[in-house]
Amino acid sequence: MKNICLKITFLILLIMTGCSDNTNEVVVYTSFVEIFSEPFLKDFEKESGIAVKAVYDTEETKSTGVLNRLIAEKDNPQCDVFWSGDPVRTIVLKNKGITSVYQSPAANDIDPVFKDPEYHWTGFSARARVLIYNKTLLEQTDIPRSIFDLAKKQYKGKVAIANPLFGTTTFHIAALFTVLGDEKAKQFLSDLKNNDVVIATSNGDVKKRVIKGEVACGLTDTDDAFEALKEGADIGVVFLDQQEIGSLIMPNTVCLIKNSPHTVNGKKLIDYLLSIETEAELAKSCAQMPLHKGVKTPAGIPSLDDIIPMKIDYDKTSQKLEEIQNYLKEWAEN
Amino acid sequence: MGRKLTNHPLYTIVFLSFVLFVVIPVAYTLGTALFTDGSFGTNIQLLNLDTFSLLAKSCIIAFFIALLSTFFGTILGFMLYKTNIKFRNIFKILLLIPLFISPYILAVAWKDFFFIFFNDTNLISSYIGVILVLTTIFTPLSMIITGSALSNIDAQLEESGFMITSFRMVILKIMLPLIKPALITSFVLVFIFSISEFSVPAFFGVKLFTTEIFTQFSAFYNHSLAILQSGLLIVICILLLFTEKQNIADAPFLSIGSKGTDNKLYNTKNRNILSLLFMFGWLSISVVFPFIILFVQSFKNGASRFIQAFELLLPTFANSIGLAFSAALIIVFIGFIAAYYSAYQSGTKTIKSFDWLLLIVFAIPSTILGISLIKFYNQPGLDIIYSSYAIILIALAGKFSFISSKLIGNAIRQIPNSLDEAAQIEGISSFTRLRKILIPLILPALFAAFIISFIFSLGELGTTIMVYPPGTEIMPIKVFTIMANAPQSLTSSMTLIVFSVTLLIISGFYFLMKPLIKNYGFAND
Repeated sequence: MKNICLKITFLILLIMTGCSDNTNEVVVYTSFVEIFSEPFLKDFEKESGIAVKAVYDTEETKSTGVLNRLIAEKDNPQCDVFWSGDPVRTIVLKNKGITSVYQSPAANDIDPVFKDPEYHWTGFSARARVLIYNKTLLEQTDIPRSIFDLAKKQYKGKVAIANPLFGTTTFHIAALFTVLGDEKAKQFLSDLKNNDVVIATSNGDVKKRVIKGEVACGLTDTDDAFEALKEGADIGVVFLDQQEIGSLIMPNTVCLIKNSPHTVNGKKLIDYLLSIETEAELAKSCAQMPLHKGVKTPAGIPSLDDIIPMKIDYDKTSQKLEEIQNYLKEWAEN
Repeated sequence: MGRKLTNHPLYTIVFLSFVLFVVIPVAYTLGTALFTDGSFGTNIQLLNLDTFSLLAKSCIIAFFIALLSTFFGTILGFMLYKTNIKFRNIFKILLLIPLFISPYILAVAWKDFFFIFFNDTNLISSYIGVILVLTTIFTPLSMIITGSALSNIDAQLEESGFMITSFRMVILKIMLPLIKPALITSFVLVFIFSISEFSVPAFFGVKLFTTEIFTQFSAFYNHSLAILQSGLLIVICILLLFTEKQNIADAPFLSIGSKGTDNKLYNTKNRNILSLLFMFGWLSISVVFPFIILFVQSFKNGASRFIQAFELLLPTFANSIGLAFSAALIIVFIGFIAAYYSAYQSGTKTIKSFDWLLLIVFAIPSTILGISLIKFYNQPGLDIIYSSYAIILIALAGKFSFISSKLIGNAIRQIPNSLDEAAQIEGISSFTRLRKILIPLILPALFAAFIISFIFSLGELGTTIMVYPPGTEIMPIKVFTIMANAPQSLTSSMTLIVFSVTLLIISGFYFLMKPLIKNYGFAND
């Protein structure tokens, strides 16, 4: 009996301390889709000889895990690098004093608009907000070309958007507020609500509803749209407002965590993620649009050169986002 | 009190460890989050009429789920534990399946079901949908609670009843009053599980109190308000459990052994077809329909997705099983010590407070528990805990020890005191009495507590995702982080694999333990 107890205690202790090694490593928290981010982290591990310890989360579930964890760990950071699928969360961390300054040489030729002016974060491989539509439910002539079309009577009850309190949708709405001004943006949202817009739980949910034909069209991100096309879904993709305000572009962002335990390794990982090679691979694996000039992309993957982008300042848009959150909560819930 | 504690060194070590590793971190973090920078004063003003009406709405939904689950669970429990209905042993296992699966997955399956067959998901994406899905998930829990209580009714009581009145009156006047404690326990536990459930209302887009807490966490990053709101949930859970404690005489739920009482089984011959129809109907609603949907989605494009899902999950198996196994051992140990001293030394204040501490930690929402543990253990001197699996084991022990102590406590209370007293008179030491009398007698209950703790630990997500060490792969987290963006076929395949692995391991444990339990001569099915 005593022997069994001893063995069990030993086993538990072994399991408890099984991963407290602290050698040549880098700790990365990411809200970028695990299925796509993991291969890059493994490649970096092979190339650099630095062990990568990752914590994954997903923006579809609002990144509650990693973001709240980073905030809770502020006084004793465990993480070196945060790789986010969008700029919103990185800017939240910057505003809470959790990020550190790092100007990566690998990002020299990336447009400054995709970087924090103080180099707290750097953007790479971008997605755009697009409209996807079900080809059997919408004729070619009926396809909306502007976001404002979605509030028209002919689309009543046929449009889905994700909950605007979370993820890229919240940033999209905040961008509309900065571009249009509060009054026009509120009017648009009010018209959309009166037109019985369907509020889905996430962009992935929007995609599923459009594919199934529950709604005729919906707003989502390019990676979701191209993933659906890869799966053979009968949908079309439209970049909205190409004659007017343009489409919102959202880069992935990467930042160094303040007082991180492996700063040097963290910088190496950031350089790797911001490289031309990573962008080329991300374009192949998940239809992300490179921000470096002259990166070769597979056929069918849009280029930023062919899209009219919405002209926004990411920092100011994030500030606007904080201002309108209570309004958005009320809009979404009532 | 100090002298009394030193009389029970083992109890003292376990109690103090629980306080040190679980209770102090939670109390410290909740205290600082609520009261720093005057945030309590600011946030308490935000607890307005809307907050309380939302809480009331959530209570009403949880009330209906608890009521329906207990109602259907009692019927199923009666049919499976008190009648000789055909295939009853197979039904007992099959009907438990919804308990093994993440509620979110079942919600997805139900929504797809409504879309495929009715081309409309409005009915399911509503309060009715939340009630339907959660009722099908929690009815098995009610079934085993009430079923076990029914099987423990002494047959002599029923037979005496038949001599003077009808079958219906025996059920109404003898059986139901006798299992009242189990009915209350079932109602209270299901209510607590339902009111704390987040994933199903979130998936259906139904605003309830848990989704509001989530919004404060994830959209506004207002930890203080979220914790304050969670405090309201905790108070409700504690009040309910307090009422339950005051009103029940230790419901004999989930005890496996028959302890010498004769269980009377009724013949269903007149209503055999009707009974079987009901059983198959319930099985179809809670298991077959959702599984057909999952199965069809997994294999509609061949087996490639299933193979991909298996490859993705393969590295997580060893970690997750080892972790759940260790956690279950710890949980059963804590549960046993708490229950044993609660049963034999129930007068002591410290022992009563252990029961309450287990209960309070159990009632804390997962995310709050996770944040509490991060804030307390993420200190330079505590890296050995924070950067290792120890943090997950602490979280799981905090979350599930209450259930384990309840299961084991009820089994201990069914052992006649005379057995222990007789041994005591013979001068047998307390350790030998424990080893030779009590433990063998409650072995089936210990095994049941281990299995339930193992299942809960293997599937726990809410706290684990907040605290799991970087670089480790854990099964529910892998499924969760991949399912959001993966094709439906991959998600369904992963669910089927997780379910199969869980079932395989439980069957393995069962066959390993069966000879041991049988040796003691009181194992029943």
